[in-house]
Parts: sequence; structure tokens; C-alpha cells
Amino acid sequence: MRNLFPNAWHVARREYLQRTGTRTFVIVTIILALVGFGLAMLPVVIRLIEGDDVTRVAVDAREAELDQDPVTALRLVLDAGEGSAIEVVAADDPEEARRQVRRDELDGLLTLRRENGDLAFEYFGDAGLTDRSLIAVRTAATQLAIADRLQRAGVDPQQAGEIFAPTAFQVEPVDPDATDPDELYGQNYVIAMAMVILTFTAIVTYGTWVATSVAEEKSSRVMELLITAATPRQLLAGKVLGNGFGGLTQFGAVLVAALLGFLAQGTVAERVLGDDALSLTGIDLWILIPFGLLFIPGFLLYCTLYAGLGSMASRQEDVNQVTGPMLFIGMAGYFAAFIGINTPDASWVQVLSWIPFFSPYLLPARTVLTGNVALWEWVLAGVLMLILLAVAIWVAARIYSAGVLLYGQRGSLRQVWRAVRVDR
Amino acid sequence: MSLVVDGISKRFGPVVALDGVSFTVEPRRIFGLLGANGAGKTTSMRIVLDILRPDGGRVTWQGTPNTELPRDTWGYLPEERGLYQRMTVIDVLRFFAALYGVDGATATREVDYWLARFRIPDYRERKVEELSKGNQQKIQFIAAIIHDPEVLIMDEPFSGLDPVNTQLLKEAFLEMRDRGKTLIFSTHQMEQVEELCEAICIIDRGRVVVHGPVRDVKRAMGRQVVRFATDGDGHGAAWLGTLKEVTIGAQRADYVELNVPAGTDPQIILRAALERGERVTRFELGEPSLEEVFIEHVGRPADEDERHLARDQVAGR
Repeated sequence: MRNLFPNAWHVARREYLQRTGTRTFVIVTIILALVGFGLAMLPVVIRLIEGDDVTRVAVDAREAELDQDPVTALRLVLDAGEGSAIEVVAADDPEEARRQVRRDELDGLLTLRRENGDLAFEYFGDAGLTDRSLIAVRTAATQLAIADRLQRAGVDPQQAGEIFAPTAFQVEPVDPDATDPDELYGQNYVIAMAMVILTFTAIVTYGTWVATSVAEEKSSRVMELLITAATPRQLLAGKVLGNGFGGLTQFGAVLVAALLGFLAQGTVAERVLGDDALSLTGIDLWILIPFGLLFIPGFLLYCTLYAGLGSMASRQEDVNQVTGPMLFIGMAGYFAAFIGINTPDASWVQVLSWIPFFSPYLLPARTVLTGNVALWEWVLAGVLMLILLAVAIWVAARIYSAGVLLYGQRGSLRQVWRAVRVDR
Repeated sequence: MSLVVDGISKRFGPVVALDGVSFTVEPRRIFGLLGANGAGKTTSMRIVLDILRPDGGRVTWQGTPNTELPRDTWGYLPEERGLYQRMTVIDVLRFFAALYGVDGATATREVDYWLARFRIPDYRERKVEELSKGNQQKIQFIAAIIHDPEVLIMDEPFSGLDPVNTQLLKEAFLEMRDRGKTLIFSTHQMEQVEELCEAICIIDRGRVVVHGPVRDVKRAMGRQVVRFATDGDGHGAAWLGTLKEVTIGAQRADYVELNVPAGTDPQIILRAALERGERVTRFELGEPSLEEVFIEHVGRPADEDERHLARDQVAGR
């Protein structure tokens, strides 16, 4: 660390200002923040679009010989059941109703008939089998059919009404503070997934920034001046910090926008939809703190190695090739997390979540999903991360001091190895 | 105390770039490092600057090994010019000044002084990419000296400059020397060396072929040069050839160069001319040019590569 600052600071400051000072950066950041906010709002938007949509179903029951009015009966069942708006109307002219369905003026035509005395239903419309309104219509139709059978079996309508009275069914969660556990797990799964994807995106995008900026200095030959003015370690540290925090600025803006979206979800849903079913009350935002503490050194670890490898490229076109190994490691962590996320309790996932290259992906994901990650695991992962970061800085500085003056040849693994071993 | 380069060697894989190169640069002098392309000039400079480590040998400045010297001892103008194209002139220069620990106010003052001296004071707030190559080179020179280094090392500082800018840069060199700085520059153009350098070192294929004060190097050639012209056709080249001790060197448009061995009095040429009744219009005693020194030691001109290249380009190859 001796003599690292203030030169690393000067380099970092220049990199940061150059990176974030451009119009492109500002525009891209604003767009990404809007996208982040929009994605966080997506569930509300979906509900809004769905909620507005009233499903209108016409009922033709002339051949069913029902005692009661099917329209009233269906309305009764549907309104009592699902909250979704399904409008039931009588089809006075079935042929006209069919045409209306074809013209999209009606969503469906439900025809009731008698088959061997039993009620049979036929639905004419575009809805798929999993469509929420169709499921509701089906449930209502089944109830209607059962009521009809009971009546034919001689059960008194009064009694039949009692049969259909709602059953007492209560869900008691293990954690009394939590909402519906199934829903909570789903939410956490989404959050864990989002963290994995964001980590991967940040590492690859901003790591490439670092590597590109190193290669840029080589191809523009500023490097020779820099290397006389500052030591390779000062330059490397400055590059990583300047570009890294430039990236984190953008990343942070997007994250904050998305977070605001999440937090506002409940309020917006209440205002717009009139119900608060969507508020993510179960999310514990405290997870973001250990996540950040592990993410930042992990991110710097990747960036450092990106910078070291970037110095092996003579031109910007070569950057992708020389940083290939980093993409490989990043992808390995990403896919391990994707597989591990489905079995967060497996021991291989547990062990892998302590290993530096994988821990930024897996440990936060495990914490969110299982909720039983011990503090010592976080400490262990953090310590291992810092140790590897120190080693990476040393290795990258060696590659860097050899690489920055190496023109023409593209870096092969053998050259990297030689650069680490040989003294300049 | 001087800059001592003592037996440095460097290999790049199978290629021997430097093979026991030694030379000494006296402080407060301008020193020329001469050699054809690929002779090892840039590698030598990088080793002096401690950007590269030699496989063997060492470099000391005023008795201290270069590995222990602070970086602001040196100012470096690399052969490959490069600046941050999208930054303004003042920002770039202040950035490099900051790396050398120069505070902003001092840096700004120095920048303003040098921009005025190089006659580009209004380029201060311009972006580097808007400047011509020659002007970028001047900015790069300022970047190399902004921290007031003791030793200034420049790799081909004159390449690509027009005559006006070349003159400005030469004046800057002399000013730096008068400020008590030591200047080392490499080149394969001999005119600048003749004009500026007190001492030189010629490198060929990684070895020093000759080294020392320019005067000594020229004397060691063991001959004098007489620039001679008469009224007659060909300036008397025909009969001059009959003089035993004298050999005819380069034939220029308005004079011939005659080589006279060290032990011979050049006056014999004048005497012979007068005896023949020639009207002598020019008789100038001189030392061999550095160009000749170079060719004698290396066996080909320093800019031979360029000449080949130019010829190849003309021939459309």
C-alpha cells in the first residue's frame, strides 16, 4: 500500500470523471434507471392491464331446461368466488352471440344442454385452458351442474345452498410475521434470481470497461507517459477504482430506481387497482447490506483481473479475446448460482457459496432463499474474498507491468504466466 | 556526477536487444543517442527510466541506482506520441503534473509559460484531438518537463516536426540545458545532433560502437575534411584525384569534400591549386560530419531504412 496514493487517486479521479462525464453515460444511465423502475412496476402494470379487462360471457341455456335462471346462478357463483370481473349476460340470439364473439365484442359464449339428463357445457371463445376467467367460468359451471344433480336427486334447494356454503380454511404460516409462505418463497426466488443476474451483468459489463480503458491507453500510447509518471500498481489501482466506481454509479442509479419501484409498488397498486394484494411486505431490505459488503470486494476482484488481462491487449479489438477467461469464470459463477438456486440447501451450494469467485452470487441468494445462513459464513466468505483480492492485485500488477509495454502480440495464457514469473 | 549506464543487456525471447551497452552522460549537457531503427535506443532509454529491467548491468544517476530514484527525476518524451485525445490541453497537462506531485497552481503557471513560448497560448482550453500533430508533440514535450525533472529523456523528439517547430523545440532544449538540466535524445537525423549535442553514443545492433564528446569522436576518425571549390568545371575534381594523399568524398553542387589523413597538411591542396593557376573560391577546413562518422562505424547511413522505404513507396512496391 506504500506510495499507492495519491497517484492511484489521481488516476481514479480522471477515469471516473472521463467515464461519467460523457453525455452517453448520462443518457444510458437515465434509460437504464427508467427500465429498472419499469421492471419493478411490471406486476402492477400487468394487473392493471388485466384488471381493466372485463370478460363478457353470454349464456345460452334454452335447451338446458333449468329451473333457475342460469344467468343469475352463474353471476352468483362468479361474484362470490374470484374477484376478477366477469360479466354474464343472457344470449337471446345464439347466432348473433357467436358473431359477436368472432368480432371480439364478446369474450365467449357458454351453451348449456342436456346430455342423458346431465348438464353439459360448451364454451365458444379464444381463451386457453389456463386463462383465469375460463377457470372461473369452469368452476362456476361445475357448481351449477352439481346443484342441478342434487336437485334431481331430490335435495331441497335450501339444503343445497348449505352444501355450497364456503368451507372454513385457514393458512397458518410457520413464521407468524410472514405472509403467505408460498407467495413469500416465490418472491424471494425472484429476488435471489434478480441479484444473481444483476451481479453477473455488473461484473461482465463494468469489468469490460476496465479492460477496455487499459487497452485504450495502450493503443493511444498514453501508456508510456503514464508508466514513467506512476508505478504499475498505482495505475492498476486507479483504473480499477475509477472505472469500477464509474460502473457502480450507473449500477447504483439503476438499483435505486428499481428499489423505489418495488417500494412504491404497494402504494401504486392500491391507488390504481384499489387493492393491496401486491405489496411485497415480506422483503427484508437488510439483505442488501451484507450483499453490498460482499459484492463490492467481489466486484473489485473481477475488475482487477480484467485490468490485468486488458493490459495484454494491444488494441481494443483484442480486449474480448484476452478477457475471455474472466467471462468464463463469471459465467461459471452465474450458472452455478442458477442451478444452486433450486437446491439452496445442498451442501455443494453451501461450500461453493464461500468460494470468492462464486460467493457474490451464491451467498446472498442462499440467504434470501433459506434464511438460515450463519454469520460466520458471511465472515468466512468475506475474509476469503479479501485474501484473493490481495493476491489478484499482486498478480494483476505483475501482468500489467509486463503487459503495458507489450505490443503486437496478443496475450496467450503462456505469456500471462511468463509475465507473472519474470521480473519485467 | 553523471548518468552512468554500465553494461546493460536485455533479451526479448530469442532477440538480443542490448548487449553490454555502456555510456556516460555528463550533467548539464545535451547528449545524443544515435542509431538506426532497431539498434536499441528505445530499449536503452526505457531501462534508464526503469520502465524495463535489464537482464544485466546497472544505471546510476549521481551515484544512486535508478531503481531507487524517485520517478520525478526523469522527464520522458516517448517516440510513440500519445495523449488523452478527448481531454483539454490544460486538463491533460495538469493530470500528468499531479501524478508527479506538482500542485495545480504551479502546473497552470508552467503550462501558460510553455504554451506562450511555443506560440500556442490559445490552445489551452482546446481538446487535444483538435490540435495538429506538431502541436500535440509540443504539448507532449510540456508534459515531459512540467515537473521540472533533472534529466530529460526524449525518443526521436524531432520526427514529424516542420522547420519552424523544430527550431522552437531546439530553443526549448537549450533553455532547459541553461536551467541546469541534463538532456538525452535519440535520433537518426544527424543535423540536430551536430547543432545541439556535446557528446554522443552510437549504438548498432545492441552494441556501442563509438561514444564520447563529439569533437573527440570526429578526431578519432583520423582525417580532416576540406570543403573545396574553384571556378573551373566540377571544382577541379578531375585533377584533385592526382594528389596522392587526398581522396575525394562527397561531391556537392557547389563544392567537393576532400578527405585528408591526420598526418597530412591540408595546405598541399591549396598549394597545388595555386600552382595550376586555379581560382579558389572556397577552402574550408573542417572535421568529418557525424553522418560520415556514423557511416564509417555502422557501415550504412542512420536513416537507410527510411530511404529504402521511400524508394519502395515511389516504386509502388
